[in-house]
Amino acid sequence: MRGLLVAILVAGPVLAGIAYSMLGALGVVGPGASGVSLRHLQVVLADSATWWGLLWTVWIALASTLLATILAMGTAVAFRAERGVDRFARLVAVVPLAVPHVVAALGAVLVLSQSGLLARLAFAANLQTSPADMPPLIYDRYGIGLILALSWKEFPFLALIAFSVIARRGALLEETARSLGAGPLQTFRVATLPALWRGLLPSMIAVFTFVAGNYEVAALLAPSSPLALPLLTMERYTDSALDVRGEAFVLVLLAMAVSLCGVAAHEWTANKFEAAE
Amino acid sequence: MRGVEVRLDGDLVLRSLTMQVGRGERFVVVGPSGAGKTTLLRAIAGFVTPDRGEISVAGRGATALPPEKRDAVYMHQTPVLFPHLTVFENVAFPLRVRRVPAGEVRERAGAALDAMLMGEFGNRIPRTLSGGQRHRVALARAIVARPALLLLDEPFSALDPALKRDIRVALLAAHAQYDPGSVVVTHDFGDAAGIADRIGVLIGGELVQVAPPAELFARPASLAIARFLSIANEICGLADGAGNFSSPLGNLPVANGVPAGAAVAVFSPAAVRIGQEGGTMARVLEVYIHPQYTTLKLKIAGETVEAACPLGSSFTIGGETTVVLDRASVAVFPLSMAERDNKTV
Amino acid sequence: MKASRSGPRVGLTLVLAIGALLPLALLVALSVSVEWFYPTLLPGRWSSANWDFLGRGSEVIFSSLWTSVALALCAGVVSSIAGLFAGREIARLDGWRRRLAVALAFLPVAVPPLALSIGLQYSLLRAGLGGRFVGVMVAHIVPALGYTTLFFVGIFAVFDWRVEQEARSLGANPFDVLRRVTLPLLRRPLVEAFALGFLVSWAQVPLTLLIGQGLVNTLPLELMSYVNAGQDHLAATAGLVLTIPPLALLVVAGLAVRRLRVVIA
Repeated sequence: MRGLLVAILVAGPVLAGIAYSMLGALGVVGPGASGVSLRHLQVVLADSATWWGLLWTVWIALASTLLATILAMGTAVAFRAERGVDRFARLVAVVPLAVPHVVAALGAVLVLSQSGLLARLAFAANLQTSPADMPPLIYDRYGIGLILALSWKEFPFLALIAFSVIARRGALLEETARSLGAGPLQTFRVATLPALWRGLLPSMIAVFTFVAGNYEVAALLAPSSPLALPLLTMERYTDSALDVRGEAFVLVLLAMAVSLCGVAAHEWTANKFEAAE
Repeated sequence: MRGVEVRLDGDLVLRSLTMQVGRGERFVVVGPSGAGKTTLLRAIAGFVTPDRGEISVAGRGATALPPEKRDAVYMHQTPVLFPHLTVFENVAFPLRVRRVPAGEVRERAGAALDAMLMGEFGNRIPRTLSGGQRHRVALARAIVARPALLLLDEPFSALDPALKRDIRVALLAAHAQYDPGSVVVTHDFGDAAGIADRIGVLIGGELVQVAPPAELFARPASLAIARFLSIANEICGLADGAGNFSSPLGNLPVANGVPAGAAVAVFSPAAVRIGQEGGTMARVLEVYIHPQYTTLKLKIAGETVEAACPLGSSFTIGGETTVVLDRASVAVFPLSMAERDNKTV
Repeated sequence: MKASRSGPRVGLTLVLAIGALLPLALLVALSVSVEWFYPTLLPGRWSSANWDFLGRGSEVIFSSLWTSVALALCAGVVSSIAGLFAGREIARLDGWRRRLAVALAFLPVAVPPLALSIGLQYSLLRAGLGGRFVGVMVAHIVPALGYTTLFFVGIFAVFDWRVEQEARSLGANPFDVLRRVTLPLLRRPLVEAFALGFLVSWAQVPLTLLIGQGLVNTLPLELMSYVNAGQDHLAATAGLVLTIPPLALLVVAGLAVRRLRVVIA
């Protein structure tokens, strides 16, 4: 019983935060509070910025998670051996794990901006003559720079898991498939890929959820339109009109709902695959 | 302990248990799984509080004492050594918590290790030891502070014969050191017989019989006990209530207490003498060869009986021989319908 | 699997290495130079001026570094110790109670820090902790404690509780058991939990922004302001400093794993 009490203590501030946000969303507390009303809810739901923000954030999270996964799987499969080159590659792949997200964003700015390293290399190769020639990769509508930065940062996390899956089960699955007559590509598709997928899916969901809620990288690399959900939330919350601030609570609840769905999905997939193991 | 009753999760696990273990005695508790053996041991150790009854160790009332103040050491089935301490420090642990001065610690811990033939292993860490070595270190640690009682929970479980012998020898060596009492729990009667001074049979939370091994095997107190001991042969027949039991194998005199009605005679393969004059006809069905003896499955007047005979005798399947029952080794019990159909305890 | 030619493999490794390390190399180059304009591929003028803050305790970087370190140390200490007790209690549970407790402990980890800060700001402000070091520290501890609690639940799930029983049976009172058995066995996990809590606080942005209200400046925040102001050299320097603790811990963890593997082998 004590364990439950302790868990409630640990979750306490979050639960209080959720409660407060709910009250704030209903206009009961917070800046611009004027009693129970659904006004904030209505405004936010009717605002196209909300839906664009949600859509865009999901796009970014999905794209960066998939890109990170592909990189992770690719690295795990390409460098699965025990020889020096492979072990060095696996080591190097883990480095971005140690880099804080804001620093990763900084890196993206330095490499991908219109006067960044990529642009300068293009200049040196005579592909462009001025910064303006470079297509914008950051602050752009598709969030390319943002996606690249997030993938770079998140792929070591998935790569570590992929390495472990390959190390544990890779050889066995491959031998079985090969001895049954499958060629290298087929083996990958039929034996390796499913194992990697099963091992990685829960963590992919975790990465997706984390990226969707991340503020600092979006703050440094995202465009102002469409505005990512975390940035939209911050904008509303610091608006000079107190009334508008109340809307931030609705967005906060939205963000929390997305995370909780992510957690649920993570648990469900993890259990499903654990049972199969 | 006297009148100890323990309830776990609402179930009565130990019913009004009373038993005594003397100084230097090795008392082994046997019983089927779930009979309450571990609970019994843990009650003595102090990890389980009885709902009723008293426990005393070395003459001192222990029922109200916490585990560390009872003079009894509980040893888990797999030896639990402290992973962060060396072998020597493990053995020294009971002395250190008793604030024994360093010089004495060195001496006594060293002596305990030597007694267990682990003197050379002082600097090793538990992770590097083999199973048998761990058992010996655990025993050394248990005896170093000379507790009045050693409590061993299934020490022989899941071990190969060589390791079992190892532990038996170690336990006897521990006893040789200073004469502690031991309560050992096991579900294997064979292991029990190897070390016990007395055996207590625990079935359904009750001590149904306490006796030295030989007596227990020759004269089990009830059919349930006989079945637990896996005494191989059961022949059903009729008792007349006046001291006679008639069966396909002939008539047997029985103890007076057996009422008239269906009864069963229980005897081990060793009670069947083969090839004797004047015995009943028997046909050999199967022959099993064991390392130390041979077992025959015989058909006698419609009943299947197992008999043991020494190595070297030869029998052919389908051949005939005569058998005589050693009456002193046969126990007869009244048989209820349920017991006849249910061959297990 | 047949050994493939080493050519493509080495090439691939090179690409991977460049991809992973180039940003860091850039940071280093920027931090040791003061003029590097488009379109040059190498810095115009090398200089150690960006690192002056190390010697003189200047306003640049130094004070925010100091604040970050202090915050992270506090968060690490508090969350590791509290996490130990919390994790232990939760690990003792069974069945649905345990699942519920773990889900609860997971909340501070799963909820995005921005959402968390907005939810918490009111209470912390009301308690007079807004814009103060203590307030930000408390805010950092919330997610850090979630991480360390879950970490210890994992540790205690495989902890052999029997050592405590064994120690009691051998004559140790509960205090002795704690001192001689339980705590020594937990020393390593405690250090790891401290590192975990430290890192959670170290890289934190939204909580510091909203609870600190601009009055508490940490290194990540300073980094962001440099980026927004286009001061690349200072940003790079700050970024490198920010990366040092996690990188160091990664190296230590990697060495520890390797040492363990040698021992087991």
